[in-house]
Amino acid sequence: MTSTVHLEIPASGAYLAVARAAATGLAAQLQFTYEEIDDLRIAVDEACTQLLARRGSATTLNVAYRLEDAELRVDVSIEAPDSSRPPLARDTFAWQILSAMTDEVREQSEAGRLWLSFRKVGGRG
Amino acid sequence: MAELPQGGRTRVSEVPNAGRVHQGPEASGNGTTPLDGRTVDRGHAKDLFRRFVETRNPALREELVGLHLPLVEYLARRFRNRGEPLEDLVQVGTIGLLKAIDRFDLDREVEFSTYATPTIVGELKRHFRDKGWAVRVPRRLQELNLSLNKVVAELSQEIGRSPTVAEIATKARLPEEEVLEGLDTSNAYAVVSLDAPAGGEDAPAVSEHIGVEDESLEALEYRAALGPLIAGLPERERRILYLRFFGGMTQSQIAARLGISQMHVSRLLNRTLAVLREGLLQDEETG
Repeated sequence: MTSTVHLEIPASGAYLAVARAAATGLAAQLQFTYEEIDDLRIAVDEACTQLLARRGSATTLNVAYRLEDAELRVDVSIEAPDSSRPPLARDTFAWQILSAMTDEVREQSEAGRLWLSFRKVGGRG
Repeated sequence: MAELPQGGRTRVSEVPNAGRVHQGPEASGNGTTPLDGRTVDRGHAKDLFRRFVETRNPALREELVGLHLPLVEYLARRFRNRGEPLEDLVQVGTIGLLKAIDRFDLDREVEFSTYATPTIVGELKRHFRDKGWAVRVPRRLQELNLSLNKVVAELSQEIGRSPTVAEIATKARLPEEEVLEGLDTSNAYAVVSLDAPAGGEDAPAVSEHIGVEDESLEALEYRAALGPLIAGLPERERRILYLRFFGGMTQSQIAARLGISQMHVSRLLNRTLAVLREGLLQDEETG
């Protein structure tokens, strides 16, 4: 069974704590371990920060959390006039952080929106 | 010489030159120069440093300060949107610059600007924290955090892996909600303790060389602002960064390898990332 939680926050670093707290609470429900939760929080921070850095005139940041069995998928997106440039290049330190903290990272840009998504499987100790 | 401060903090009043050398933002007002320290004549700076290290002549020190003031201004500007006049921030940053100048070791194979950046940023952050602008953690949460640290460490030992929130709650006899609150606090706490003396809990292993690991970091085309920040991190922090993000080791594995607790690794990792991210958003906001 899949449950989804949608979060819409102002496009400001001051609200990252909310995105992080939501991820923490949801991961706890999925029986993630303390370390897995810490990794997840780092990934959420990183993905949000990277998109905020591209925010332009965007005023909101969207975060969707999809819970599935022992897996949490997080899709972060922001409106961006310049969606021709990918949200995050793969040769960046940020991409490396996201890859190391999660099981899969994806980026996408389409129709004036930038996306960073990742998947993390929990409960593996 | 190259040692990081072992506890104890230099207050403003102990730095007699701080006020005098401050020239205000207009001092660099040629407008067109990129104020990131790259404009510093490195040969000249090196020469000055050599003479300063030998003589400790205050005049040379002042000259070094003047030379690197653009770097301070560049970094201070990142904090501008927090409601403090830029010139005050430059003054605070200059204290960091002075500390960096006094501690800089020519034998270190890093550029001075690279070495000084974390110290200056640290001074600015401390300024906001001391004024109560940064996150403050209420005592109750600090205590909660301490007791959770203990429980997590014990449980990890007992079950041989990182515990879940439910397991921590049972052991600590706390509702899960409170454990979650504690988790959130641990991060805020990491931010608050950002400026704790680097030599605090266990001093960085300055002798350990991590050349190979550095190459992996440098192979990445990270933002210009990130390069100096990573290079300027204490070795242990850099090492943890490398082991976690490039070496594929878990926090527990790193903890075992470095002989510190997993929670401690978590704190160091989080606070290092906080430093690295600082530039990213501030730059966007202030242009």
